[in-house]
Amino acid sequence: MTCDSVSKLIPLYYYGELMPEDEDRVEAHLHECGACAREMDRQRSMAVALDHRHAEYPAVLLDDCRADLMAAIHGGAPRSGKPGKSAWTLFLDAMAESLAGLGRFRQPVAAAALIAVGFVVAKYTPGGLPFANRGYSAASMAPEDVFATIRSVQPDSAGHVQISYDETRRRVISGNTDDLNIRKLLLAAAHEQNPEVRAESVDFLKSRAASIDVRDSLLNELAYDSNARVRLKALEALKPLAADPDVRKTLAQVLLTDDNQKIRMQVVDLLVAHRDDSMVGMLQNVMQREDNNYVRLKCEKALKELNASVGTF
Amino acid sequence: MGQDAAGAVGARLSPQIDSLIRAAQRGDHDAFEQLVRAYDQSVLRLAMNLLRSPEDARDVYQEAFLRVYRNLHAFRFDCSFHTWLYRIVTNICLDQLRKRKVRKEESAVMETAEGPIDRMDSVEEDGVDSNPERTMWNRQLKQRIDTALEDLTPRERMVFELRHYQGLRLRNIGEMLGTSEEAAKNCLFRATQKMRSVLGDFV
Repeated sequence: MTCDSVSKLIPLYYYGELMPEDEDRVEAHLHECGACAREMDRQRSMAVALDHRHAEYPAVLLDDCRADLMAAIHGGAPRSGKPGKSAWTLFLDAMAESLAGLGRFRQPVAAAALIAVGFVVAKYTPGGLPFANRGYSAASMAPEDVFATIRSVQPDSAGHVQISYDETRRRVISGNTDDLNIRKLLLAAAHEQNPEVRAESVDFLKSRAASIDVRDSLLNELAYDSNARVRLKALEALKPLAADPDVRKTLAQVLLTDDNQKIRMQVVDLLVAHRDDSMVGMLQNVMQREDNNYVRLKCEKALKELNASVGTF
Repeated sequence: MGQDAAGAVGARLSPQIDSLIRAAQRGDHDAFEQLVRAYDQSVLRLAMNLLRSPEDARDVYQEAFLRVYRNLHAFRFDCSFHTWLYRIVTNICLDQLRKRKVRKEESAVMETAEGPIDRMDSVEEDGVDSNPERTMWNRQLKQRIDTALEDLTPRERMVFELRHYQGLRLRNIGEMLGTSEEAAKNCLFRATQKMRSVLGDFV
């Protein structure tokens, strides 16, 4: 075997991908040829160096992925969570949670969303409210369409069992985001418990970001959503509005508070692209607390261009 | 992190996995969940190592297993489930890598007094090392390795990832990527040569 042919086989030899007879021939050559043996050593060193670059996922990521997947498949909450809750109950719970204990900014948006859903459901559900007891017998229920939450089980006066339950029907509606009702439903869905639903809703709302109610909802998601993917989608949707003072106010808040580096890096790009003197204090503040080199360098550059000092005194 | 079913590289399907697939095909959700848990650690590790972003890895996980969920009825046991699953996963990852190549070309690398800085360089922070010289060397090596990996085409990157980091055989890799073992060998050779040329005297 020539050195040239062996050098072409070294990677395959290292990974054990040669046929046994080729492997023997390469091995024999490596014993006799110092130059090729050194090549083989380089191959090993490179593999060792590359092993150190192996990325591990954060421990919580696997749990999050599993929960998201099961939620997407079952159309509601993760199954390991609270079995038996209907999609509608979960929705109301999520809405109640989102209304409780939030800042002033979030409350009006969430309230509007709740009203919007009431309106849309009333409009699209013939026969009235989803909780109305319309006397379905168990046999008439299509299991994939009706969700029930048992509220109580107790004996009645005749000695029978009395079961009280809420029921919700799943309905599928489709329409264009031009349709006000579709938009209202999307705005409501942006507060759903399932992050996948929130992310998809935000994605659909992107084309309507210029409308005030959509813009406020996107700002709300960007500032407060617990899921980084949803926040990134909201940020993406808000990019064309980066010069809007209200948007910039939220972007500045996100730059100072968001714990996700990828989001902060994108936010700083948007902020410095439309820089103005009013940003100086905020940028100096970021310089004091930011760990990420990219964000720091962007802020530093912007401060210099604004003829401001990098630190505060 | 624990080893999952995909960790046993090239192994035949265990009867348990086989029956989980059949049960899941009949609509048994618990079986599907167990099936996911048998493979999802490897899938997440692959996505994370290729894309180096938890958000992107999460997207890959979600999309891959949703596709599995929707198409499991079409799985006919004419290849291993692992190969079938990885065909889905590698396709999604290749799409992401291709999109990223485009984004990278669009995104401005920031010029600084210390030279150009790429925004993603700072995503992974180094651990603290008491030896500053070694820290510096490690950092330079890390940057060089990242450059080397980014210089690969998405397909070369995928073959290298599956062979070097996931320990799969080139024959399986070819099967997953819809190509021959020979083509996978050529891809691995090209990837190795490119990396050796970028890493230069570091190795």
